[in-house]
Amino acid sequence: MRKSITMLLSLMFVTSALLTACGNNNNAGNNGEAAATNSGTAATNAPATEEPVNTEPFEMTIRHTQVGADKQKRLAILEDVVGKVQEEVPGLTFKLDGVDSDVNRKEKLRGEMAAGNPPEIFDLFGSPDSKIYAKEGKLLDLTPILEELGIKDKFSNLDPFTYEGKIYGLPIGGSGEGFFYNKEYYASKGWKAPTTFAELEQQLADIKADGKVPMAGASKAGWVPLMLANHLWSRYAGPDVTAKFATGEAKWNDPNVVKGFAKYKEWVDKGYFKKGELGFEYAEYTTQFTSGEAILMYDGTWKSSVFKAGQSGEGLIGKVGFFNIPAVEGGVGDQTALMRDVNNGYGFSASAGEDERQLAAVKSFIKNMYNEEMQLRGLVEDGVLPAMKIDQAVLNKNITDDLMSEIVAVLNSSESSFPAFDSLVQADVTTEISNIQIQKLIGGQTTPEKMGEALQKVQEEANAAVE
Amino acid sequence: MNKALRNPLVFILFVIPALTLFFVFFIYPIFSSIYYSFTSWNGVSDTVKYTGLDNFKKALGDDRFWVSVKNNGWFILFSVFIQVPLIVFFSLLIANVKKLKGLYKTAVFMPSIMSTAVIGILWGFIYEPNIGLFNKLLGLFGVEPIYWLSDERFAMLSILITNAWQWTGFYIVMVLAAILSIPSELDEAAAIDGATGFQRATRITLPLIVPIISVVIMLSIAGAMKAADIVIVMTKGGPAGSTEVMATYMIKYAITNFKYGYGNTIAVLIFVFTLVVTALYQLLFNRRSERIEY
Repeated sequence: MRKSITMLLSLMFVTSALLTACGNNNNAGNNGEAAATNSGTAATNAPATEEPVNTEPFEMTIRHTQVGADKQKRLAILEDVVGKVQEEVPGLTFKLDGVDSDVNRKEKLRGEMAAGNPPEIFDLFGSPDSKIYAKEGKLLDLTPILEELGIKDKFSNLDPFTYEGKIYGLPIGGSGEGFFYNKEYYASKGWKAPTTFAELEQQLADIKADGKVPMAGASKAGWVPLMLANHLWSRYAGPDVTAKFATGEAKWNDPNVVKGFAKYKEWVDKGYFKKGELGFEYAEYTTQFTSGEAILMYDGTWKSSVFKAGQSGEGLIGKVGFFNIPAVEGGVGDQTALMRDVNNGYGFSASAGEDERQLAAVKSFIKNMYNEEMQLRGLVEDGVLPAMKIDQAVLNKNITDDLMSEIVAVLNSSESSFPAFDSLVQADVTTEISNIQIQKLIGGQTTPEKMGEALQKVQEEANAAVE
Repeated sequence: MNKALRNPLVFILFVIPALTLFFVFFIYPIFSSIYYSFTSWNGVSDTVKYTGLDNFKKALGDDRFWVSVKNNGWFILFSVFIQVPLIVFFSLLIANVKKLKGLYKTAVFMPSIMSTAVIGILWGFIYEPNIGLFNKLLGLFGVEPIYWLSDERFAMLSILITNAWQWTGFYIVMVLAAILSIPSELDEAAAIDGATGFQRATRITLPLIVPIISVVIMLSIAGAMKAADIVIVMTKGGPAGSTEVMATYMIKYAITNFKYGYGNTIAVLIFVFTLVVTALYQLLFNRRSERIEY
């Protein structure tokens, strides 16, 4: 008897669970049908020329990398755009998901792409990432949207986001890399920004002799020292050398490239960077400069946002200058070339194109984010160079602070530019140089020659793996 | 009810939910991982190319991978030969204090409930070359600053110390529970017979807590094999890959480089190595520990 009751109870439990699940499905189905019927009715009642507006709530996620105190202004710009888009698209609520830039690029987004569930809008690195995702159909083709909005030709360079003639992402801004320097210190020494490489090296030696740290250093993440190292090897071997590694036209162990590594190593050995730099995070890099401990800081123009009211470098407002690396003796190619990138921007999930309302939200986002007003806000408030073509007169009118004027003057005085290595070589090579080789060089565990050989080996393997 | 459960149909009905979860979250990922470990796949593409044992050959001949294996080995050795003796020592001390035992237990347990990120940052301050506690103390004896996290001679040791600090308290509480469950009559009888505190600890308490020490060692080994978070927070595997462990190697070189197939190979190797190490430990040591009955 007890056995029968237990059996009966078990069956009832399983059956009720199944019925509940079916019930839910049916309800969902019924709701869906009801919604369809309602919308059908609405469509019937509505004027024949106008589509009914679907105001049912829906949510989309924006993955951004505007985290931390120094990116508050950029976050404010994004929030303003979000507000406008939500007003324009009925029912839409954006969920903002802030993630550290490196984590988003190298781990989180890649994992989501693999799992097939990236956010609808996300911070996207141009080359090579966007091309890999585009090839696999993970990104929304923006070409028709840009044509519809009439802004396809308004960008200064969309190459990093273009794959087989179609555009899969939009750069939020541009950047150039050079030396920020402490003008107050320079004035106290009666110096000016160096115009020759010898003058720069003399200043570094003098700063060291003065008991100060010549250059900020924080190499826990390899990309930080590689900004300067990249510029140095491009001075010695030519601005176009890095682009030739992946095609096999140039080699990492080219004597001129090695000269660049050797110069970096020489500066490390002379104690021009803060000791123990391999243990410091990027945030510490800025602090060394803003605290006055380091006199120079090689960084991207985005860093100018720090020297604004309310930011961590507020105390240095009006006391910071910017210069390009002077020409090196015997260097190959244009010696005014500057490392410039338009490789950071927004991409959109291909799935957003399959839903009409999400597509409308994407269009609205692009329209509100990519216009002259927002580009100028990015420049003025956040120190990010515009990614869109803006009339020089308008630019001049909007640039009011000395540092940004100086940066623009440096950018204008360079005759050519080259992108950073990580947009030109394969991910394996980037990992090798960022995580191993540059740190080995700084730590004295390798020589510039061995570094060149090791990188070339990885490069050849990566080149051979291209299908 | 017991009779009902002997009915195969009822038994299966009750077991199905748990089995489903086990299959979906454990068995399927393992087999999926094993499948992809034999492929060349970038993780994004729909095309998965079967490459046989290529990934395994590559991993076994990959110097960086073996550096990470060696570092996992350091975690195990440090846990077993330094951390566990300290755990036993402190447990014995705390078990014998008469006052504020609760305070000591709470104090040692505290690090275990803190997140690894917080601990990493906290110890980052302690290891700071210029103003960090360690170098300040060493400075009192005229020792030059040590670059704990940026010098490859010290980076791994620094991580091991921090990791040990984080988990020692957790294990102390376990061992302490075992010590306190030993009937006090045994200790009292030995004391009456004239045994010293040291003798009582080594001849009575220690032999009686061998089973729990064995569990602690087992858990330490398993923990050592999956260590990753503390490394990511403290050194990111640097300088120059010197503190890389198998899990961080898998993330850095497989996922970051768009080599999911290879990443899965590393995952399978971690699984196999963990299985081998724990099985060896079970065979060589754990089977010898006998059931304790009072």
